[in-house]
Amino acid sequence: MNKNISISIIIVFSIFLTGMFVYTDGYEDIKSSVVEVLCLSCLKLDPVTQLEYIFETANSNHHPDFVLNNLTSGIVFLHYSKDACSGCDIILPAIKELFSVEYGKEDMFQKKLTFEENTVHYYYINTDHTTDEKQQSFKIYDKDHVEGLPMVTIITLNYDHGTIKPYYTSIYGTFGSKYDTLQKRYDFLTDIISESIGLWEENNAGYEP
Amino acid sequence: MKFQLKRLLAQFFIFLSANLRPFGVKTGFCYPFFYCNACPSATSACPLRPLEVSVYKFIQDDNSIKWTFLLFPIAILGLIGALSGRAICGWACPIGLLQRATGKIARKFKKYPLFKKMGKHPIEQYLRYIKYINLIGLVFVTSALIGFYFTDICPIGFLTGTIPTLLLFPGKYGPSSYFWIALVIFILFLILIFLIERGWCRYFCPVGAILAPFNKISLMHITRVPEETFQKECLHCNACSNICPMGIDVVKINRDPECILCGKCIEVCPKNLIEYSRGQK
Ligand code: SF4
Ligand code: SF4
Ligand code: SF4
Repeated sequence: MNKNISISIIIVFSIFLTGMFVYTDGYEDIKSSVVEVLCLSCLKLDPVTQLEYIFETANSNHHPDFVLNNLTSGIVFLHYSKDACSGCDIILPAIKELFSVEYGKEDMFQKKLTFEENTVHYYYINTDHTTDEKQQSFKIYDKDHVEGLPMVTIITLNYDHGTIKPYYTSIYGTFGSKYDTLQKRYDFLTDIISESIGLWEENNAGYEP
Repeated sequence: MKFQLKRLLAQFFIFLSANLRPFGVKTGFCYPFFYCNACPSATSACPLRPLEVSVYKFIQDDNSIKWTFLLFPIAILGLIGALSGRAICGWACPIGLLQRATGKIARKFKKYPLFKKMGKHPIEQYLRYIKYINLIGLVFVTSALIGFYFTDICPIGFLTGTIPTLLLFPGKYGPSSYFWIALVIFILFLILIFLIERGWCRYFCPVGAILAPFNKISLMHITRVPEETFQKECLHCNACSNICPMGIDVVKINRDPECILCGKCIEVCPKNLIEYSRGQK
């Protein structure tokens, strides 16, 4: 192989890489969806589901406005996902069935739903296609600092030192080996939602956003 | 400083720079070698992950290809490959460093007649094509058709992501449905690298499969001195081939896709008949 040919190929790749770096979102895309979000498939592990409700947000930031406002009329259900994520593809059908909703995997979707005669504010947040506010909410509710998807967050209300405050839990991955079928995941989610609704009903009278 | 010590230092330094997350360094680059982004201290992305993402469920979901995820790692590996071929395997990759250590044991096995025979068996050369099948079949085709099968079972992910995570965060994670298959593959990986020097790099590594063809066009490569001198002076002692960690017949070397430019053959040749070339030949 002639030296000039080798050098020409190096120049072509240098221009190609510089062009990709300067003119495309390749660097940012890889950073935000591969490096900053833990891939549970690469990890071959599922976070151990700890069904524990807490008041403190994961990064000590305030709850987002869309959550605070919606809590006046019902619990808030945030369903975080991304385009290329095998765990997300497992959880998606369970949630669609639970709320009888239909939307595309890459859509932004939100709906005020009725679940067993109670209001649930449902948000499907695909982190690859969402607004900054919703994107940032992922870090606010990443309770166990897993930084991985899928994640489901349910926000309700509870009494804390004299005030009624948002009270939430987040569950990750495919919810662990205990919930290995669609029906089990469905039942598990139903139980958490019912519990959250119960707390909301007990406390909403004293809530001010 | 001895040449192989310099190489060891380079490998060690690059291993450290691949693990800067504890200092807040997270980049959107891909490593030009094999290292898992699920490692708790990973600085960058494994090059295979964006490639898988680029075609993820392409057929099933009727999605379009994510071109930036496909082309960015190719641009990085392409530039480095065009400059120095597979030198990254010999000088930078942490999995190469690991196999440099296990290679000491593998070299002992090499003395047994069974391993000698296996190494020289004609089929051995064909086994090296498995890495290309892994790259196309496991990384691209299964991602496009079904999902992330390579990362689900990847032994490098198990070594650099799963094990450190289990050790650093006890009780926080439990096995996923692929954990046990991945564990078996990881054990086989360990057996392989202890039995055959650089066994993973020779036969299975998909990153090696991307880099290997660049040896044919790279500016820097290993070459023999001019033919006439070589024919006249070579003692046919085979010291070069015997020491080669990639099992190359160095006497016949001509831009071999398996060469990792470690320089061991250069050092060992009593007649100085092998050298680094910077594009002269
Ligand atoms: S072939 Fe070996 S040294 Fe090269 S990238 Fe793969 S594991 Fe690393
Ligand atoms: S041919 Fe020489 S430089 Fe290449 S891998 Fe073998 S010993 Fe290393
Ligand atoms: S080590 Fe040098 S002299 Fe010996 S076989 Fe190899 S090229 Fe020839």
